[in-house]
Amino acid sequence: MIRVETLSKQYKGVDVLNRINWRVEDGAFVIVTGRSGGGKTTLLSIVGGLTRPGEGKVFIDDADIWQLPEPELATLRNRKLGFVFQFPSLIPTLHVLDNVLLPIAFSGRNPNVEDREFAGSLLEMVGVTGKDDYSPSQLSGGQQRRVAIARAMINRPSIMLADEPTGDLDEKTEEEIMRLFQRINGQGTTVIMVTHALGYVKSGLAYTLKNSRLMPYEESEVASGSCAGEGEL
Amino acid sequence: MRQIFYLVRQNLKRKPFRTWLMIGGIFLACATLFTAAILSKGIQYTLQTAGERLGADIVAVPADAREEALSALISGSPSTFYMPLSLEEKVRKTRGVQQTCAQVYLRSLDAACCVVQVALVGFDPERDFTINPWVLQKTAEPLQNNQLIVGAKVISAVVGTPAKAIGQRLMFMGKPFTVATILEPTGLGTDYTVFLTMDMAYRMTEESPLYPVPVKRDQISTILVKVDAGTDPALVAQSIEQNIPELKAVTANQLTRSFSRQLQNLVDALFVAGGIFSLLALILAGNLFALSVRQRMRELGLFRAMGAGRSLVFKLIVLEAVCIAGIGGFFGILAGFAAVYFGKDIITDMIGNLYMWPDTGYFLQTALTGMAASLLAGILGGLYPACRISGCEPYEAIRRGE
Repeated sequence: MIRVETLSKQYKGVDVLNRINWRVEDGAFVIVTGRSGGGKTTLLSIVGGLTRPGEGKVFIDDADIWQLPEPELATLRNRKLGFVFQFPSLIPTLHVLDNVLLPIAFSGRNPNVEDREFAGSLLEMVGVTGKDDYSPSQLSGGQQRRVAIARAMINRPSIMLADEPTGDLDEKTEEEIMRLFQRINGQGTTVIMVTHALGYVKSGLAYTLKNSRLMPYEESEVASGSCAGEGEL
Repeated sequence: MRQIFYLVRQNLKRKPFRTWLMIGGIFLACATLFTAAILSKGIQYTLQTAGERLGADIVAVPADAREEALSALISGSPSTFYMPLSLEEKVRKTRGVQQTCAQVYLRSLDAACCVVQVALVGFDPERDFTINPWVLQKTAEPLQNNQLIVGAKVISAVVGTPAKAIGQRLMFMGKPFTVATILEPTGLGTDYTVFLTMDMAYRMTEESPLYPVPVKRDQISTILVKVDAGTDPALVAQSIEQNIPELKAVTANQLTRSFSRQLQNLVDALFVAGGIFSLLALILAGNLFALSVRQRMRELGLFRAMGAGRSLVFKLIVLEAVCIAGIGGFFGILAGFAAVYFGKDIITDMIGNLYMWPDTGYFLQTALTGMAASLLAGILGGLYPACRISGCEPYEAIRRGE
């Protein structure tokens, strides 16, 4: 479970996130939407242990992640979290399979046969087969995003954080990627996705970030820009 | 760790030209500095051991034949220069002189035995202190008139190992001789010299058609001087020249220095070039490396997002810098070694056989120091970008790398 308490963050004196309280249950599929520059990515990166909050706390399975020593936080990112970013994030010097296996190398061990088999099955799941030794530049944008999803899954994380994973993809590929996330969620992985694709808000619990506050998507529509109440759910 | 090395290797292969440019800078710096260090040490060794090799602290030669005489001493080149024997007595009486011995040089000649032109030198076996220390197999018997002592390189090329030359019969100026013993290599003209008794040397000039005017028995070519313990040879040489104007007295160190000056200039030039290359390598490799890290900020941020700790990213960057510096240093040292090894002939041309190479230990020590310095430069070069990147929050690194 993820619990966020009175989370605030400022950039250059401007509130990006303001006293956000939030709870995401295990196995949930959560969509966060909002205007560009509204703080969605910042929220995701604070929850994912990538950016330190200005104030407030983030608990993952009851551990206050921003109180953890850096090596333990790195371990948490490695073992419990999987990230998919809005930009191509494969390492250009590594082949597809090596890209997928990379988080294992960061866990302090060398990938073994089982890891390779699992990586192969993940690549099969995301629909990129027979391209293990391809360089990322030989893949299409959609294929690269799928490989990034496979990589995020390699350590069997309990939480997947996706930041606009379909932002630069065509409609058909976007649908395929969204189905993929739903499938991952179906396997019990909590998915938190930041997206502009409003067509998918009904896929799960939807929230919107407006005026530095997080609120349920429908409520925000009703509120139409008002800042009534905190985004506590 | 294997994975980390793999990442480093893959990254170095990403921009091969840039990688090789950085390696090349360090390579040049290491190669020139290594070569300069080895040659410089060789000069130092040469100067230090000159006196020991010459066997004398001072060599007194006819003032009007100074260059010719010194050349003969160093390289065994053809020389016939003479002065009155009586000068030896004067030298012996000079303050600070402990012992003297004279030698007479005969015309160098091509001998049937030998692949090189040899010099014939007469000496007094009873009083000599310059040749005897180099005799390979010492005998109790003094050298006889029909016997020879030969330099290490005189006939070794013909008979293989120098020891096999002992007992061989050789003809010089129509006279038969037996090789009594041979000398250890000295790097001096003695390596190409055949020594015989003074008496026999005079007799040969008296009886050979090569000498229409024989060398008189009261003529000598050089006076070798040993000074009293604790006495400065330079001061004694000065007194000899002041007291006996017909002589030029050269100390062993001066003798060597005059021949190594040319090499010293080369070494100085190499040190300057090495210094410039080092500076350029530091600027070039340092900037390129910092640029390379800056361009990969997003990637390194992604590594952190995937679970790489700060220390791992730090190690990754430093290891990359160390690899570049290490490869450049290693091949630079190899190239320096090759330059020294294959440049031997050039150095020999410059100062004859006098140049003494540093021992293997010094080669190893210099190579290890060069490697250590390269690796240290790599560590230092990698530290700043490594600290900068690893100190960033992952998201910040990703954002700045966009």
